[in-house]
Amino acid sequence: MAAKRYVDVFEMYNRCVVGDRISEEDWDYNIIPHNAALMKQRYDISFGNRIIPNDQDMVDRLFVAGVDMLLTSGIYNKATGTRMLITEDELYEGLKMAPRKLQLGSGKDSIVCSQRRGNSINKPIIEGGPTGAPLTEDLYIPIIESYAQEPAVDTIVSGVLRTVKGSAAEKNTPWEIRGALAELSYTREALYNAGRPGMAI
Amino acid sequence: MNELKIDTSALNMIAAWHLSGVNILVEQMPIIGGYAGSVEETAICDIATTLASFAVMNADIHLGGPIHIRWGTTTNRQSLQVASHTAMAMDTNTDVLLANQYYTMADSCTEMNILEISAQAMCDTVTGRELLSGVASSKGVKTNMVSGMEARALGDASMATCGMDPAEVNDIVNRILRRYENDYANPPKGKTFSQCYDVNSIEPTQEYLDLYSSASEILAECGLYY
Repeated sequence: MAAKRYVDVFEMYNRCVVGDRISEEDWDYNIIPHNAALMKQRYDISFGNRIIPNDQDMVDRLFVAGVDMLLTSGIYNKATGTRMLITEDELYEGLKMAPRKLQLGSGKDSIVCSQRRGNSINKPIIEGGPTGAPLTEDLYIPIIESYAQEPAVDTIVSGVLRTVKGSAAEKNTPWEIRGALAELSYTREALYNAGRPGMAI
Repeated sequence: MNELKIDTSALNMIAAWHLSGVNILVEQMPIIGGYAGSVEETAICDIATTLASFAVMNADIHLGGPIHIRWGTTTNRQSLQVASHTAMAMDTNTDVLLANQYYTMADSCTEMNILEISAQAMCDTVTGRELLSGVASSKGVKTNMVSGMEARALGDASMATCGMDPAEVNDIVNRILRRYENDYANPPKGKTFSQCYDVNSIEPTQEYLDLYSSASEILAECGLYY
C-alpha cells in the first residue's frame, strides 16, 4: 500500500508514544540478536575472508536483509520504553527525502558533497579533525589550525574540550553547553588563522 | 543510534535542526561482537539503522564507524569488513550520502597510525562513501594525541585509491592489515600535538615528516602509491 507521506521526526515520536511496550533488556538481549541472526540465515549472508565484497548478488541480499531487519524490528525509544514501526512504503518514501548533494561551508571555502557511486575518480570530502578526541584549552586552536591548513582537508570536525575556563565540561551541566559553544568559537578562530574562514564545521 | 535504539532527547535535537533548515548528520557506531553478534549480523543492523536515519530521522548524511568491542577501533579487520559491506550495499541500492569516521589503535606520529588510517581510507573510498571524518588517534581517548598530519594521511590514501579496482584494493588492504594487526595489544607509543608540531608556526616536526615518508614507503610496498 502506498504511503500517505514520509515519516518525519514528529511522526516518529507520535508512534513511539503508542508503540509496543518493551523492556530495554529484551530489546538488547533478545530482539536485536534474534532478528539479526534470522536475517543472516534468511538471506544467506556470509562475508568469508573478504574485506571489500566482490559478490554483488550477496551485497544486494545484504541490503534486503537490512531492510527486513528495520521493518521487522522497528526502532526502540529508551525514554518511552516502546518501539515504533514503519512500513516498507514509508521507508522508501523517506529515502526519497534524502538529499543527493549537500552544500558545506560558505564563500570560496565551501564545497559540495555529492554522490560518488562506487569507486568514482572523484575523491570523497575529507573532514579533518580530532573526531571528538579530548583537547586542552591552550592547544585547541593550534590543533584545529593544523587540520585546516592541510590542502586535502575540505571541512572540519571538532574535538572535545576537557575544560572551559578551568572548569570541567561535564555532561548534563551548564559547562557542557559553554564547552560546546567555546569549541565552535575556537574552531572559527582556527579557520580564520588558517585563511579558510568559510570552511564547514 | 546504535542497534536501532534511540532516546527522545535525540529526537528533540533533530526537531530543532530540521525546522532550522541546517544539515543533519546522524551518527551511529555499531558494535561488532556486541548485542547484534558477528560481522554479518552487525552489518545487517548497520544497514537497518542507516536506513532509519534517512527514513524517519530527517538525516541529510549518515556517519558510520563500526567499532570492535575488544579493540575499540574502526581500523581492525572486522570493522573494515562491516564498513565495506554496509557501504557497498547502501551505495548500490540507494542514493543517500554516506560518511565514516576513524578511530585508530596507535598514537599519532607512529607508522602504525598512518597504516591504519590508510587501510580504512582505501576501504571507504572504494566502496563509494562520500565523506571521511578523522582522525581520532589512540581510540580518541588520549588528550591532545591528534594532529593535522593524520588528516593528510587520510586524504593522500583516499585520493590514491580513487578509481582503483575493488579486487586490487582488497589485496592491498590485506597486505597493509598484516603490517599492524598483530600489534593491537602493544601499539607503539607516539607523540602528542606539542611534541610533534611547532605550536607557534603550526608546522610538523622533521621527525614526523620523516616518519610520514617511511610510512609512505611501506604503503608503496603494499601497493598504495602517492
